[in-house]
Amino acid sequence: MNPLIRECKILVRSPADTVQSVLFVVIVVMLFPLAISPDPTILAGIAAGLMWVVALLASLLAAERGIQADFADGALEQMVLGKTPLWLLCSIKAFAHWLSCGLPLLLITPLLGTMLALDGLEIFWMLASFALGLPILSLFCTLGAMLTVGLDRGSALLPLLIAPFLIPTLILGTQWVQSGGQSFYGYMLAALLSLSVVSLPLATGVAARIAVSR
Amino acid sequence: MLQVNALSCHRQGEWLFKELAFSVSGGELLEIRGDNGAGKTTLFKILAGLFDDYEGEVTWEIQDPPLYVGHRFGLNAQLSPVENLSFLVSLNQNAPARKDLEVALGRFNLADVLDQPCRSLSEGQRKRVALARLELTDSQIWLLDEAFSALDTKGRQVLTELCQRQVAQGGVVIFSSHQPVSDFDSARVLALGKSV
Repeated sequence: MNPLIRECKILVRSPADTVQSVLFVVIVVMLFPLAISPDPTILAGIAAGLMWVVALLASLLAAERGIQADFADGALEQMVLGKTPLWLLCSIKAFAHWLSCGLPLLLITPLLGTMLALDGLEIFWMLASFALGLPILSLFCTLGAMLTVGLDRGSALLPLLIAPFLIPTLILGTQWVQSGGQSFYGYMLAALLSLSVVSLPLATGVAARIAVSR
Repeated sequence: MLQVNALSCHRQGEWLFKELAFSVSGGELLEIRGDNGAGKTTLFKILAGLFDDYEGEVTWEIQDPPLYVGHRFGLNAQLSPVENLSFLVSLNQNAPARKDLEVALGRFNLADVLDQPCRSLSEGQRKRVALARLELTDSQIWLLDEAFSALDTKGRQVLTELCQRQVAQGGVVIFSSHQPVSDFDSARVLALGKSV
């Protein structure tokens, strides 16, 4: 069975994981107007940054899901031993993270934007920044999970280790929306995405080899 | 096919084994014996290429990576035996047909649970799913760590037959077990823990 189909089947059979990501994001975004102010001008001012922070936290929360299970049941060992290139399997792992966390987030962005009083154009730029930025988060989170899987208190180490690398994406994404779609930020985000797509699965593969030898 | 020279490995400051040397050629059956903690699993991991914190040389002369069945079977709890087996086999070769998967699993007496999620299977059943790979693999080398434990008589018999067939075809089977496996009369034995 194709590894991609395997990941999709696992996702479909554990829908609670995806629901958890979505609920987390919706609840946090819902709480902000209640806690800060329902004033649309204040909300629209912080909306982009807020949504990016929530997306980052949701990605970190979902990071260990697929990796932890594969490590515990020994599938990771078999992936490392097999002939299928490890970078490919790691790319698929990152894609699965995006499917269970990034994609649902992208789909509810119009709803979240409306809750935070963004107008149509701002929601469009929010979608654009998520479309380019969330895959970067998924790639980094998969790398982080692979580096810490099997370690004592690895779950605590993961955000500390990986959050600094997520900050450029957060800044570029937020700035892109707040600047009303200035192309510089879009290009930078696209460049970061291209760089991550080609390099991080290789690093994740090396991390997987180290993880199974522990 | 396999040449091991001066292999030494230590964990937590204690030598698991020191200056281990042996070789295995095609058609041989090697049993690795040793008490708990003697380093059997570590040796298997080294041979499989999963663990490289050792001194000495391990040389394989093979095309395909060895097939390793360890303590963890690589079965996802959400997927069925058919799906898990198909995935594990297709990591190394073309995806097997459903019919072949059914035959392989049927041989290990798993015909009733083909499409149940693996989380509902017992330990022995999951072990048999993992071992059903042996029926489908092209790999010349089998590394079976504790493959005979937690198996019923029928399962042991099937596994013995598969191992004998593999050896007869010029492959290599390296296995370990706690209780002596009397089913093989031609197995060479490598004892760990006494060579130190």
